[in-house]
Amino acid sequence: MTMIDVRNLKKSYGKLEVLKDISVEIKEKEVVCVIGASGSGKSTFLRCLNRLEEITDGQVIIDGQDITAKEANINKIRQEVGMVFQQFNLFPHKTVLENIILAPMKTRGTPKTEATNKAMELLDKVGLKEKAGSYPGELSGGQKQRVAIARALAMNPKVMLFDEPTSALDPEMVGDVLEVMKQLAQEGMTMVVVTHEMGFAREVSDRVLFIDEGVIAEQNVPSELFTNPRNKRTQAFLSKVL
Amino acid sequence: MNALPYLLEGLKVTIYIFVIAIILGFIIGLIMALLRLSPIRALNWIAKIFIDAIRGTPILVQLFFFYFGLNSLEFISFDRTTAGIITVAINAGAYFAEIIRAGIQSMDKGQTEAARSLGLTGTQNMRYIILPQAFRRMLPTFTNQAIISLKDTSLLSVIGIADLTQQGQIAIAATFKAFEIWLVVGIMYFLLIYLLSLLSSFLERRFELR
Repeated sequence: MTMIDVRNLKKSYGKLEVLKDISVEIKEKEVVCVIGASGSGKSTFLRCLNRLEEITDGQVIIDGQDITAKEANINKIRQEVGMVFQQFNLFPHKTVLENIILAPMKTRGTPKTEATNKAMELLDKVGLKEKAGSYPGELSGGQKQRVAIARALAMNPKVMLFDEPTSALDPEMVGDVLEVMKQLAQEGMTMVVVTHEMGFAREVSDRVLFIDEGVIAEQNVPSELFTNPRNKRTQAFLSKVL
Repeated sequence: MNALPYLLEGLKVTIYIFVIAIILGFIIGLIMALLRLSPIRALNWIAKIFIDAIRGTPILVQLFFFYFGLNSLEFISFDRTTAGIITVAINAGAYFAEIIRAGIQSMDKGQTEAARSLGLTGTQNMRYIILPQAFRRMLPTFTNQAIISLKDTSLLSVIGIADLTQQGQIAIAATFKAFEIWLVVGIMYFLLIYLLSLLSSFLERRFELR
């Protein structure tokens, strides 16, 4: 079953065309990593999937719902599409627990006790149960990112989008975050991950998209793409990062 | 000193006008800031015209306009206290609007993106995420404006409101002790403003971003 269906997606900022006609289907439970040089448009692509960037042309259909349609309720759709950011973007004025229960309570009217139970479960899952009462400022980068993942999961999303989730972390923090993501992948979450972590892409993803100059220059299963890239630009990129 | 009851009476009026005006001013400022940031052009312009008009004219002229100007129209009539409160409130509102707008705009875009990506609406994002953080940052600037507004209330004596300044004049007329009375009036204003800044630093500590 197709979870994300991107058809002829185009995105321009004024005259600058960042995404030029991208089409891709992502199946349910599939884990797709998106790689490419900075400025290639990979983050923009990801942000179009929940309309954090307005789409210039084309369609994005998530679980059968055209999110670009005029009548689409984007707030409702975003409840189903979790997103994790490079800079974590936790709410600094709220505790870890409050960060997690806010959206379920405000958008779905989940009762506080129920939201809290779920949040504690998720915190346990990311190994941060004891930090429930802490403020984001008291956490390390890796801990913040794991809280951000728990916050997104609290909405029971059908899809999780990760925008360079480990790029702002100290090297020794990266492992914990990737571990949580790996577990999520094993549980069958549909994931799209923009990343520079080639090891993660190789090990965890079902498919890797290489985006270059606003198009998907090459896509394949990781074992193929990393060992036997066909496109010259993929080869050039991989030779720099591997 | 038999002038003291006069002055205390005036102090009460000053505090009364200040408190109401500053609360109204804050509400006006918040509304105008939100209009100013609204994606709807017409609302932007309403806020912009309001802010520019108030900031671009002296408060004394505004006071005369509201009290003498508007009152000269047949269908409008309000007393001097109302005119005084409106003047100070609207004036504070225009400055608050700009403080709040700047505060909101200084917030990291990532906060809004995180909130919206969770499915919160624009209004929910403002209410739960942006404004609570922005207000903490704005507190020192708020205090500054509140102090200015408090001082502005002394202008209201010119339309005969019996505030601290006006009562000072009355007390002098009765006692002929200009030096002592203006000194005491000054000290009273000073203490009031000092209290205000104490309150502000208390709130700042209380709501410190962790």
